[in-house]
Amino acid sequence: MSRILRKPLRTKGLSLFLHKLVGESHHIPASSSWFCLSHSLPHNPIPYFTSNSVPDAIHSSASLQFRFWASEAAATEPSTSDGLTVQGILAHNWTILDESDSDWKSHAAAVARSIDLIKRRLQWSKLKVRLDMLSAQVNREDLWDDPVRAGQISREHGSLLGKMKEVNALEQELLEHVDMIKLAREENDADLESESLKTLLNMRRNAKEKELEALLSGEHDSCSCYIEVQPGAGGTESMDWAAMVMQMYKSWAQRRGYKVTVIEEMPGEIAGIKRATIKVDGEFAFGYAKAEIGVHRLVRISPFDSSKRRHTSFAAVAVIPILGDGSTHVQINESDLRIERFRSSGSGGQHANTTDSAVRIIHIPTGITATCQNERSQHLNKASAMAVLQSRLDQLEIARQAQLNAQHTQSLTDITWGNQIRSYVLHPYRMVKDLRTNYEVSDPDSVLEGDLDGFILSYLSATLDKDDDA
Amino acid sequence: MKLTLTSVYRPHCFPTLLNSSSFISLCRPFCTSALSSVPTGVKPQVPLFLRPPIYSTKLCDLKKWHDWAKGLAFSVGSTFLHSDNGPDSSLLCRELKWLMEDAVVGHHSLGVKDDGRVEMRVDMEELYCLWRQRILERRPFQYVVGCEHWRDFVLSVQEGVLIPRPETELVVDFVSGVVSENEDLKKGAWADLGTGSGALAIGIGGVLASGGGRVIATDLSPVAVAVAAYNVQRYCLQDNIELREGSWFEPLKDMEGRLAGLVSNPPYIPSKDISGLQAEVGRHEPRVSLDGGIDGMDALLHLCDGAALMLKPGGFFAFETNGKQQCRALVDYMENNRSGSFCNLEIRADFAGIQRFVIGFHQ
Ligand SMILES: C[S@@+](CC[C@H](N)C(=O)[O-])C[C@H]1O[C@@H](n2cnc3c(N)ncnc32)[C@H](O)[C@@H]1O
Repeated sequence: MSRILRKPLRTKGLSLFLHKLVGESHHIPASSSWFCLSHSLPHNPIPYFTSNSVPDAIHSSASLQFRFWASEAAATEPSTSDGLTVQGILAHNWTILDESDSDWKSHAAAVARSIDLIKRRLQWSKLKVRLDMLSAQVNREDLWDDPVRAGQISREHGSLLGKMKEVNALEQELLEHVDMIKLAREENDADLESESLKTLLNMRRNAKEKELEALLSGEHDSCSCYIEVQPGAGGTESMDWAAMVMQMYKSWAQRRGYKVTVIEEMPGEIAGIKRATIKVDGEFAFGYAKAEIGVHRLVRISPFDSSKRRHTSFAAVAVIPILGDGSTHVQINESDLRIERFRSSGSGGQHANTTDSAVRIIHIPTGITATCQNERSQHLNKASAMAVLQSRLDQLEIARQAQLNAQHTQSLTDITWGNQIRSYVLHPYRMVKDLRTNYEVSDPDSVLEGDLDGFILSYLSATLDKDDDA
Repeated sequence: MKLTLTSVYRPHCFPTLLNSSSFISLCRPFCTSALSSVPTGVKPQVPLFLRPPIYSTKLCDLKKWHDWAKGLAFSVGSTFLHSDNGPDSSLLCRELKWLMEDAVVGHHSLGVKDDGRVEMRVDMEELYCLWRQRILERRPFQYVVGCEHWRDFVLSVQEGVLIPRPETELVVDFVSGVVSENEDLKKGAWADLGTGSGALAIGIGGVLASGGGRVIATDLSPVAVAVAAYNVQRYCLQDNIELREGSWFEPLKDMEGRLAGLVSNPPYIPSKDISGLQAEVGRHEPRVSLDGGIDGMDALLHLCDGAALMLKPGGFFAFETNGKQQCRALVDYMENNRSGSFCNLEIRADFAGIQRFVIGFHQ
């Protein structure tokens, strides 16, 4: 909806702006092309000119026809005709009222705030530096000497440029609308004013959505991922908790429409799991799930304690992105691998009939292992375990090279049990609280059934919004 | 022993061979289903997952069956495991999931139609029957569903044909490693002796297909040949794989000295161990595919002799064995009795760390 609306509105706003600029002077470059648009008057046809002459009729300011200069001048710091910038709007500190209040200043302030937030989430100044660097590389003659690297560079360049353009367009659009509403008020045009208010409101909603999108703008956020869960000390009670946590992620992922595959699941002797890995397939799976990395703590009356005492258990969660085909993967040497049949006993071969062909792969130089048991053939279990191993090694490499946000690249073995991120209390009171954001919910059942988005979004915004980077 | 053609081509008969068919009919499933007829005039059976979904059942009835089946699986606990290294409850539960996968159309969403019915490839009665056979008779899961997932193939299997083992998958990797370094071998003629379901022939046929190589697969058992032919056809490899019925090298007289490669997973279990086998194996798989004579080496030694005669210079071979002892014995035999015939002999382990394979080249 907003996408369809935007183009004509932009055109209208900009043309108003130009109208004011060139005003009565009629001093228009001969080579420019002109649009003639009509919005509020449905009976008016929409003439389209590419001639050198300007039709006289469009100069009546009360007529709802606007001109548009198709060749947009390169914007410096965008501002309204009276010099108001997005920063300026923010500085006014206009009160932001409810969406239902038709106050243009409130809408404008809300949009400005969204833009500001989006910039911070995109780490705007870092993004500009990176973009400059990439632009320089993209323009180098020898870029395609290394086609793999060239592909990566131009991909990243394109993606960052796209983000930057999108934000700039948002700013431009806001200022145009502000211009238009001021004009409408000057001209006492009630129709235009209410129309403009409506479009500003639309923009406000649209910008709010963009805020969310900006939360997931990390390099690997759009990837699918693996989620791994492992219990802390405490035997069956902890293993049961780990199984509950894993179930919570399966439900969460299914609710979001992701495809979930169990790669590995090592059951506990009495209940729960000793370890499990699932694959979550779909766009932004990693971007969201990375917010769950760390230790999850449970307080409850243990169903495994005959004297009904209260227990505290822990489960560690790790999340690994599955890099796409476009990314460079760590090269794995076959000779560095040890491949083992999992849980096999006896003489094997013709002696045994089993449907269990789980395989564990050990990468000897790093000690990193991967296991898969969900496939029906050993060959496919091996392939699937190799994919997990590849992602683990890639992750290690990402951590080493880019020194990304340390939290997001922790593997299960790195997570210290002190690193608690969330507490789930079922007794003596009922509550789930995120220890990083203080976000809390009083209904643990819904959370354990996968209602995690509140926690995830509040965490993502907290981490991205805190550093003042706009 | 002087190697003669007659000694190599002599059919290798096991004392138990004649018993095997009566043995199969003894444990013939007693339910009236497509799986009930033991094929003698051989018509291969269609695996469950490929059968047309001509049945339907109420979702609640399927659920009822599932609960019952799960209960039965749980009642097993680890008794099978302790008695003969058989499956425990958790493994049986996974098999149950796979049985659903194969039997029910759109099992993910439980393809429920508007009238609350699900489409099935078997009727409910047979489904009960199948699971009872699995648990109470220890009928191998692969015979129950009529297929085994092996490498990236789904191979049809049925009573009378050995269910291919995960260990054997590695033989294909050996071959693929060897031919990647030797164009000549890739273009040549290979043999898979005692092909059973055709697993090795199909795996190797796939590897050779791009280079124009082909595989001749033999088996003494007509059921095996029929099932292998069915599988070869399913993977459209009939131009690369030729099936011949007969004992070991007997159907290969035309290939003397011309084979680029030779693979086999022959029967290698010592006769005295047959009675103590896991029930799924001992009671249901054909003895002719398991029993390797007194020390289990009868077929292996015979194949060794034949390899020396049939392989061309530089030709490759890979044999699966019962483990370390047989690997050593085989290498000893090659070095001492067939000295000068083979080179680059190697013993390779399976993923469980058991020395399982002997590989090498003809001089
Ligand atoms: C252990 S099974 C191997 C089957 C298959 N190659 C696999 O790996 O799954 C041994 C096979 O050798 C066949 N066999 C037994 N005696 C034979 C003989 N004398 N000549 C040819 N094949 C024989 C059996 O019928 C059986 O299919």
